[in-house]
Amino acid sequence: MESALAVRGLVKRFETVVAVAGIDLDVPAGSFYGLLGPNGAGKTTTLSMAVGLLRPDEGRVWVRGHDVWSDPTHAKALLGVLPDGVRLLDRLTGAELLAYHGLLRGMDPAVIDQRARELLDVLALAGAGRTLVVDYSAGMKKKIGLACALLHAPRLLVLDEPFEAVDPVSAALIRDILQRYVAGGGTVIFSSHVMEVVERLCSHVAILADGAIKRVGTLDEVRGGRSLEDVFVEVVGGRTATGEELAWL
Amino acid sequence: MVVMFVRLKLRMTANNFRGQPWRIALFLVGVFFGLWWAASGFLLFAVPGLAGSEQAALLVAGFGGGALTLGWVLLPLVFFGVDETLDPARFALLPLRRRTLVTGTLAAALLGIPALATLASTAGLVLSAGALGGWTAAVAQAVGVAAGLFLCVAASRALTSAFATMLRSRRMRDLAAIALAGLAALLGPLQIGLITAAETADWDRLVGPARVVGWTPLAAAYTLGFDVAAGRGWAVPLKLALTLAATAALLWWWSWSLEAAMVGSVTTAGPAKAARGGAVDQLVPLGMRWMAKNRYAALVAREIRYWWRDVRRRAGLITFLVVGLFLPVMINIVGNARSPDTVSISMIFVGALAAVTLANQFGYDGTAYGANVVAGVPGRLELRARVAAFTVYAGPLLVIAAVAMSLLLGEPTWVGLLLGTLAAAYGAGLAANLFVSILAAYALPETSNPFTINTGAGVAKSLLSLVSMLGSAAVAVPMVVAAALLGDAPAWLWLAGPAGVGYGLGAATLGVYLAGDLLDRRMPELLAAVTPRR
Repeated sequence: MESALAVRGLVKRFETVVAVAGIDLDVPAGSFYGLLGPNGAGKTTTLSMAVGLLRPDEGRVWVRGHDVWSDPTHAKALLGVLPDGVRLLDRLTGAELLAYHGLLRGMDPAVIDQRARELLDVLALAGAGRTLVVDYSAGMKKKIGLACALLHAPRLLVLDEPFEAVDPVSAALIRDILQRYVAGGGTVIFSSHVMEVVERLCSHVAILADGAIKRVGTLDEVRGGRSLEDVFVEVVGGRTATGEELAWL
Repeated sequence: MVVMFVRLKLRMTANNFRGQPWRIALFLVGVFFGLWWAASGFLLFAVPGLAGSEQAALLVAGFGGGALTLGWVLLPLVFFGVDETLDPARFALLPLRRRTLVTGTLAAALLGIPALATLASTAGLVLSAGALGGWTAAVAQAVGVAAGLFLCVAASRALTSAFATMLRSRRMRDLAAIALAGLAALLGPLQIGLITAAETADWDRLVGPARVVGWTPLAAAYTLGFDVAAGRGWAVPLKLALTLAATAALLWWWSWSLEAAMVGSVTTAGPAKAARGGAVDQLVPLGMRWMAKNRYAALVAREIRYWWRDVRRRAGLITFLVVGLFLPVMINIVGNARSPDTVSISMIFVGALAAVTLANQFGYDGTAYGANVVAGVPGRLELRARVAAFTVYAGPLLVIAAVAMSLLLGEPTWVGLLLGTLAAAYGAGLAANLFVSILAAYALPETSNPFTINTGAGVAKSLLSLVSMLGSAAVAVPMVVAAALLGDAPAWLWLAGPAGVGYGLGAATLGVYLAGDLLDRRMPELLAAVTPRR
């Protein structure tokens, strides 16, 4: 099976800190891929390098065979990205933002209008009207970001923490949309540290800690009959119970 | 408590240097300029008294002190921004009283190169007053110098945060623009005064105005030592009270607008207005409907919307409007030298200043620029769109400037010359600033105060503005040379228009072409440069 996203030997150092220490990943086409890891594991750094936002010190990335760093035009055309911790162009309204992304992707204006209307309706953002995105709530910002990533019907979606700050109703909605997208032949890779979501959605999982892949495979392979949370805690390490220290709380 | 704030500021400044040799270098450059400034100021303030001239001392104290205070009020708004290492909003969650917060941040603000340089230079007044009136005058003046410094710092803080609040609010922002223009207009009378002084060299006539300025909060603190020297000891408590009252009022205003900023950051947007029309029609402004709706149109439309909606960018536009249009009018109308040469040079200043607004254009977008990186926007297209969108605002202003100047000078036939020079300088400035904006982009703090800059970025920012001004002027040099050689030959007056526009267009096109290539190679680095450190 062809890889929708292939990563080889990715390394990134920030001054003295090694954020990502040689990562290899293969995201099969049509898979729903979860990238799990504790805070600071290097999830965002890895995904940023995979989509061309951050230049890796070493290593290469291919999107369906197109090298992201030497052939960015073709690779980026296949990608839809929802970055985390990155501001949207938030002085635009939701509809304006969608139109901007659509036109940047070279879409036909009529198609943009139609898809933008559908996306805003489905994601319950149509009511915001001419409110600027900067005045949206955190959850609404995630949703409009997702809409921007979906608008041009990319073959690969790269989502950084798509469920963070999203209320349960919207989260269920986003899950439905993503599941339908994968059923239609799309590929999703997303990062998270919420086990339930990953366990419910993903066909494949990689556990990332300290900038390296600790476990990788299909969900069942990684779980090996246990709960994902147990495996995660075992792999990542760290304390699971507090002792006497916080007695004053 | 004040000590805590001061130590916090020192610690944050020091941490900011860690592992960043270039920041240390910039800081040293800042220290060097500060020392140079302090030394020359000290001499200027000290010499009249040491020479025994009471009148000259009063003149220098009155006008010099007034200019200093005005500079503290205006320069942060117009050029430098304020160092918000201790942004009061960061303390919003701590149980601090407003008074503690204001005195603490004020104390921390006193600990910076500009404040220390001001203190060092005005110390010259103490020497001057002492030479004229003995130790009592010196002591009075020392107190005055300290009070004056407090006033300066309080004024700069109060005005920047007041303007930030005003520019944020949808109702007040136009008023803020007018107020800013009015403040800049204050420079006018001062300039007239200085120019007439230089021309007439009639010192006696200026002692009166200097005395008047000395009774305003602007220079009251700097003149009281000379009152003692002149035997008017009764003036000291009055002038001190005036200064302290002004400082207190400014501090009160500051703390009020701080609170407004903290509370007001939750926008009261009211009920959402319904959207009309398709998404694309909403994005593209009415005046652009004739354009093909493609990537270029999207980029231009977004930039046009941003120059108006983003507070920082709007502040940049207003700054250009005020400084770029007002100062040349003052120089050329007030000054007597009306030759095509001087007018050309002042027009080059205006055109370059317009382009310098773009010097940190990617910094305005911050991490949001990532959207264009992910979409793989080609560098040349990106830059062409940005230049086009900015010209939608700057172009008409430049035309108005040329027409207004020629009419004010009473030389309508100079329109072509002025317009050509403006266009050449603007185009050349764009070419220079496109490179600056890619190679020397810096992150702006993600606050809603458009005047704030990151710790230690003040020197970088002012150096960068200086370099881009000089670079722009250098690229525009052929226009000056042509003006100097051909002077007011009638043929040049008419040729200068098309020649200048052609030169500007050519320079801008070449700039977009070359800088676009550079941008293609440096997109991720540029994004990293405009991402604030967290």
